[in-house]
Order: sequence, then structure tokens, then C-alpha cells
Amino acid sequence: MGTIFQIVALLAVVLGTAFSMIGVLGLIRLPDVYTRLHAAGKVSVFGVALLLVAAPMLTPLGFGKALILIALLLIGGPAASHALASAAYRIGLPMKHAIRDDLGKAAGPAANSKP
Amino acid sequence: MNQALTFILHAALIIHVALLAVCVWRVWRGENAIDRLIGADLIGTLTLAVLVLIALITTNSIYIDVALGLAALGFIGTIALARYMADQ
Repeated sequence: MGTIFQIVALLAVVLGTAFSMIGVLGLIRLPDVYTRLHAAGKVSVFGVALLLVAAPMLTPLGFGKALILIALLLIGGPAASHALASAAYRIGLPMKHAIRDDLGKAAGPAANSKP
Repeated sequence: MNQALTFILHAALIIHVALLAVCVWRVWRGENAIDRLIGADLIGTLTLAVLVLIALITTNSIYIDVALGLAALGFIGTIALARYMADQ
């Protein structure tokens, strides 16, 4: 039983580290703010959450506290990413290689001054 | 099995500290303010990962409590700064 837990924890740590590396690689390689935000969101949702899956299997920690921490990450990370993307759009940072802008008509210069 | 686990955990810790250095460079030499803010948000998340890995290496769950506080309060600063920049 302990060996199974150790193997699952090892796989979770390796996968989480791989997700963090891919996210930071995207942060330094992708062309504009919005795509970089897409890559940075992977680090909190997949990278740290998979490390926290491994945490109660190797340490004397209840599964409840790890689940609370995963839930906090899943609430807080996307909220921060959406706030950053909204701020970048309101400041007017350009999109590279954009095919279309879905908010172009709905939230034009007149509509996006104040929420 | 235990030796492989110890090696993987230490390697993951070193990789995460290296990724933290990359994010610090990103905050230092960002293209615009939102880019630097993404880097700062990612520094908080990776600090959480480092705390969890230290807890896994020492098999001591007291570090997870620190990570719990950081996760509960960390993203509020990012949201507040993003709102501030949007309203400027």
C-alpha cells in the first residue's frame, strides 16, 4: 500500500514539475501578453495542484487540508488571470497575430472606461 | 524506491528555484506593466510550489500551513493591482 502511494506521488511530482517548466517556457517564449497569461495559468492550476496531490501521500497531512489548498488555488488562480487579462485589454495592449477581437464592438472606447 | 523518490524531489526543488530565477528576470526586464505583474503572480505561485516541495522532502506538514496562508492571501494582491492599473 505504501509503495503504491509512493509511485503515485512520484508520478504526480514529475508531472507537476513538467507543467511548471512548460508554463515558464511559455512565459518567456510566447509573443504577447494574452498568450503569456494563458501559459502562466497552467503553473497554478496544474503544476502546484499536482504537487499537492503528492503531499498527503508522503507527509502526515490529512487529505482535507490538501483539498482545501487545491480548491483555493483553483478559485484564486483563474480569478487573478481574468483580472490581469481584463486590465491588459482596458489599457489597450496589442494582440499579435490576432484573427479577430470578440470584444471589439461590445466594449469599444466608449464602453470600457468604467465597469 | 526511497532513493529514487529523494532524488526526484531534490531535482524538482532545484528546477523550481531555477524557474523562480526566470520569473525574477521577467519582472526585472518586462515589456510592460502587465507583463511584470504576470511575473510577480507567477513568483507567488512558484513560492507555493517550493514550500510544498520542502514539506515533501522533510516529510513535515508544517510548511503546508504556510502554503495555505500564501494561497489564501496571495492572489488578492494581484487582483488589486490589476484593477488599479485598469482604472488608471
